[in-house]
Amino acid sequence: MPGFFEKNKKYIAILVLFLLLFWLVTIQVKAGRFTVLERPVLAVSGFVERIISGTYHAVIDLGRGYAFLVRTERENERLKNEIGRLRLENQITNELLSENDRLRSALGFMKLNPPRSAVVQVIGKESSPSSSTITVNKGSSSGIGRDHAVITPDGVVGRVQTVLPGTARVQLLTDPGNTIAVRVQRNREEGLLEGKIDRCALKYVSYYIDVQEGDLLVTSGLDGIYPKGLPVAVVTKVRKHEASSFQTVYAEPVVRISRLEEALVLLK
Amino acid sequence: MKPRAYLIIFLLLIPLQASLFGPLPLGAAVPDLGLAVLYCVGLLTGPIEGALAGIAIGLLQDVGSASLLGFSGFTRGLAGLVTGLLGRRVLDIQSPSNIIFLFVISLADSLFSALFLEITYGSVPVVGLFFGRAILRAATTALTGYAILRLITGKHVLSWIRRRELQKEF
Repeated sequence: MPGFFEKNKKYIAILVLFLLLFWLVTIQVKAGRFTVLERPVLAVSGFVERIISGTYHAVIDLGRGYAFLVRTERENERLKNEIGRLRLENQITNELLSENDRLRSALGFMKLNPPRSAVVQVIGKESSPSSSTITVNKGSSSGIGRDHAVITPDGVVGRVQTVLPGTARVQLLTDPGNTIAVRVQRNREEGLLEGKIDRCALKYVSYYIDVQEGDLLVTSGLDGIYPKGLPVAVVTKVRKHEASSFQTVYAEPVVRISRLEEALVLLK
Repeated sequence: MKPRAYLIIFLLLIPLQASLFGPLPLGAAVPDLGLAVLYCVGLLTGPIEGALAGIAIGLLQDVGSASLLGFSGFTRGLAGLVTGLLGRRVLDIQSPSNIIFLFVISLADSLFSALFLEITYGSVPVVGLFFGRAILRAATTALTGYAILRLITGKHVLSWIRRRELQKEF
């Protein structure tokens, strides 16, 4: 018997390592993820991603530069016309805004201030079989902090997970560890949207709640991370099980994450 | 290979994976660079070093992403062990059959991850993930792994490594 251990000690050490890893995973499933090492690894990976992304964009920009130059004059003319039109529209909008303000204060509503935001560029996309994150080119020095909402004009992208002065890692809404408090826009029913790698699923939706394919899910604001009313996902499949008191609802994010290049981080 | 060289390669894998393939419109067909490199390491060094390399790559990927710490370490460690055991039975290291082996290992890795997520969080569309994402990913990973394997087992690279090793011995 001792001979067996002596002969296979390396394999036994590997087996022990595997058991340790398995134990590590099971405690995190119960108690939540460990985040101790995230910052140093983001520091190294963010630095290299910035260099590669910078080089990549420099090469692409060089190629595009020439094409842009050719189209600039025509574009310039079109933009001048558009500026004139927008000025006029802006004046009308300002009138409407001030009218809206007056009506709001007349109704005793709180004045709504648009949240401050920082425009960030995606410098890296990580997608392992068990998680989905992106790295952006701004961090705490731009006022970005943990759990700040990341959006685009189309809708929600995710939330900031780890922050360093010049880089931040964003946990996408499709990541299995990410949940967003949402409402069905059509009938205001509430739910929790959870990431499922390449799509999302609504959790704890009662069997009797009316959810249909094509319904738009918007943030409810109840999680304290995302402002109320932002588009999140569109329901793509609803499955009702006779045996369960809940129904399974799958949804597709409104933001095309694979094509994401820039985003807005809402600063608190 | 020296642990320092391993560390540098593995640390570079996360940003390379994220920034090299991130801007490309590949969708689900993004190769898993970590698994491709691991396959080469396992095949060339054996099961013990393959498993250790897999655990190291997996742990770094876990820390560099939002996944549970140790999960990829576990799956990648298993992949390294399997490729190491496979390497002992492979006669021609440059054979295109490596594409099939790596394809199967990558598929198994994705399937294991999806099943684990289904058990842990529930409502994971395992079948949809398998056909919509895992197969494409496995195909590109297999091709990338084979390309890396051909590159590092090329005559010039191997002779350069041997020369370096001999110089150190003397």
